[in-house]
Amino acid sequence: MTPELKAAIAALLAPSTDEGKEPLTAEDVVAFGMWVPASLHVALAELLKAHGFTLYVTVVASHWPGEKPSRRNPDPPPEHFQVATVLRNPTRGASTTFSWRVRLEPGQPLDTLFALFAGADWQEREQYDLVGVHFAGHPDLRRLMMPDDWEGHPLRRDYAIDTPHFPWR
Amino acid sequence: MPGKVPNALSGVELPDPHMDIEDYDPDADLMVLNMGPQHPSTHGVFRVKLIMDGEVIVKAVSYPGYLHRGVEKLMEKLTYAQITPIVDKNDYVSPMINEQAVNMAFEAALEVEVPRRARWIRTILAEMQRVASHLVALGTFTLDVGGAIGGGASIFMYTFRDRELILDLFEELTGCRFHYNTHTVGGQRHDIPAGWAGRAIEALKLIDQRLDEFFELVIANPIFQDRSDGVGILPRHLALGLGLGGPIGRASGVDLDLRRDAPYHCYDEIEVKVPTRTTGDCTARFMVRYEETRESLRIALAMLEGVPEGPICSRKAVNSAASVKIKDGEVYVGVESPRGELGTYLIAGGQGGQGPYRLKIRPPSLHAISVIPYLLPGNNISDAIAILGSLDPIMGEVDR
Amino acid sequence: MAVDDANDPNTVNFTNPLLDHMLSVPGLDLAVTSIDKLLTWASSNSLWMFPMATSCCGIEFMATNAARVDLDRMGSIVRATPRQCDVMVVAGTITVKMAPRVKKLWDQMPEPKWCIAMGSCAISGDFYRNIYSVVPGIDTFMPVDVYIPGCPPNPEQLMAGLLRLQEKIKAQRDGTWVPIETRPETEKMNVPAIHRIQDADRDPLLTPAQLDRSRSLGMNGAEHRAADEEGREEAEAYARACHLPTNVLRASRGGKPAEEES
Repeated sequence: MTPELKAAIAALLAPSTDEGKEPLTAEDVVAFGMWVPASLHVALAELLKAHGFTLYVTVVASHWPGEKPSRRNPDPPPEHFQVATVLRNPTRGASTTFSWRVRLEPGQPLDTLFALFAGADWQEREQYDLVGVHFAGHPDLRRLMMPDDWEGHPLRRDYAIDTPHFPWR
Repeated sequence: MPGKVPNALSGVELPDPHMDIEDYDPDADLMVLNMGPQHPSTHGVFRVKLIMDGEVIVKAVSYPGYLHRGVEKLMEKLTYAQITPIVDKNDYVSPMINEQAVNMAFEAALEVEVPRRARWIRTILAEMQRVASHLVALGTFTLDVGGAIGGGASIFMYTFRDRELILDLFEELTGCRFHYNTHTVGGQRHDIPAGWAGRAIEALKLIDQRLDEFFELVIANPIFQDRSDGVGILPRHLALGLGLGGPIGRASGVDLDLRRDAPYHCYDEIEVKVPTRTTGDCTARFMVRYEETRESLRIALAMLEGVPEGPICSRKAVNSAASVKIKDGEVYVGVESPRGELGTYLIAGGQGGQGPYRLKIRPPSLHAISVIPYLLPGNNISDAIAILGSLDPIMGEVDR
Repeated sequence: MAVDDANDPNTVNFTNPLLDHMLSVPGLDLAVTSIDKLLTWASSNSLWMFPMATSCCGIEFMATNAARVDLDRMGSIVRATPRQCDVMVVAGTITVKMAPRVKKLWDQMPEPKWCIAMGSCAISGDFYRNIYSVVPGIDTFMPVDVYIPGCPPNPEQLMAGLLRLQEKIKAQRDGTWVPIETRPETEKMNVPAIHRIQDADRDPLLTPAQLDRSRSLGMNGAEHRAADEEGREEAEAYARACHLPTNVLRASRGGKPAEEES
């Protein structure tokens, strides 16, 4: 990641800093795991693509169910989804990945990256199918892995792994 | 040939994969042909619905998921030690590399160092597995374009016979021809037996010789050329957008190989020559795989000469299911599998640290198959078979 | 062979006065047994295979057909269409999405037909058996003649399985076949919710339901969806009768939590 890219990312994310926190500087930009608000998801991907991260790697959605407060964990976060996107720059000799995370409320959709990367088509369909995260603007968001008439999203934490499916199991 | 020949770098007009078929010519008599989940093309259970105007395909819609075994859900219930044999079955033609991808993610999350001998052995095993996997790919592609009873089958027999030599070596090392379960967090479980390196060198040299014979038979064959030259040209920008970096991307001009560009194991100590093409058609993909096979043979032969001494695992041997504990962390690790970038995105911290919270496998074959709605329209069915064969998808990792 | 024709009223018992006359001719029974032996030998040594190869066992199946352990020398070639095949070799995991297709293809095979379950995924679902999308063994919807264990079985084991099938065919045609013995069950084994097709305590309504599902395969599952609206109560009643958990049928349905549905 070049210093220009880091500065550009910091400039993009700075206006959305939470109140009371210091705005992001170029040194705070890391290649893995930055939290990005959902509204800046596509803008960040565009910026990265313009700076050489042109290979779409993957998108990973996970479900974090709301837990009850316990002694060990008195203030657990409410139910949310986390979507991580990974891009790679195919530079000869020095290829790196960049990945960031977006936190979504249940039912909140995330903008699709299909306009920038054709590979987002199937990856986002798969995450919709398995985890249930909606991608706004996706041309054809339907199930990929499960049969079309399947109910439920299997990779959610409250979905039983041995759910029966009459008449085959 | 007069006129400009289209290739991966020139502007090739691509069909819209989400085109509504009613917008196509209303006078045309369209036929729906279902290349169903069971078909003789040996690439697993995968369905393509072809909408055809006569012999020419107008739209292709693909439906994966016939082998969805819920592996990612299963891994949320298993411990780290139990995951390696599960992940073997994803890309079942190159299981060594699957295991390496997953164990490297665990090692990155645990920040454990792998001893040099183990990394050296891992490199040798990865290269030998790459040879075996490419032999399957080359054999089945020739089977597809040559016919199952006839010319294609003879090349298939030759490549599988050579692959048996490598599988014998793996059986001697790990006990299984397939699904080895030989990698573990921190290194290897099985050490190289005495004399194995010598036998491996002999076997790989034999394969190297036989590859010459096989190549001469195939590449000059006019039927092979007719069926593969200029068929299924994948433009470079689409390969990048779809995330294709393996042989398919390299045949389309994406000069990326994780062994050279983001080295792991012992790849930073050796030179990896990466073949690329700009034509982007089936022949280019075939040639890239063929040249990669030769390169992998050369690397493996060079590395088998000087295996360093030392321990093969930096942690104590795994003797119970719960012996690896990773409190928390998130990592992404990508390795170069024979099909492209095989990645593991690990969110650790589930099951009290004994297992992953979410483990996503980034399968290169899924991206390879998503090329189909772009490449198939405008071709005949016979070209469709050739294109599907040249993409070399493995449904075990597409569907997981 | 198929269980369906045991009670099937459509089975025809073949009688013909010419056959009765032939059987009364002295010495003809010797010729008939010799011809019968010839037919048995021909039948068991020319088993054309239908490869239902879904996953890793499919690669081992291909390797068995390749040069080292050659199945072609047993007279078995791989045919891509079920209409020309005698043996269906199910090699690999069968998922819920694939199962109706397998059943349909099995029904499309003409008699006499046999089935080989290759690999532990086809026998019992392997370690995937408790997963939402995997059928725990193909013998829940089709009768299996030979089980070949392994993950995956070696090519030699597959060859041995084929030879066992040949022995079984000879024994069946000679009339010396002893009915299938129950597989030994261990105490820790997970019993699947749907019993094997030949188990006495299997629900008799299950096979017609499976047959219906495979027959109603449309291109986009529209028939499934229509049937499901009426059939969901039936499915839940069945699940309750088998003591299967019914709340999981409602879990995560479009994001609605389970407690709100009543």
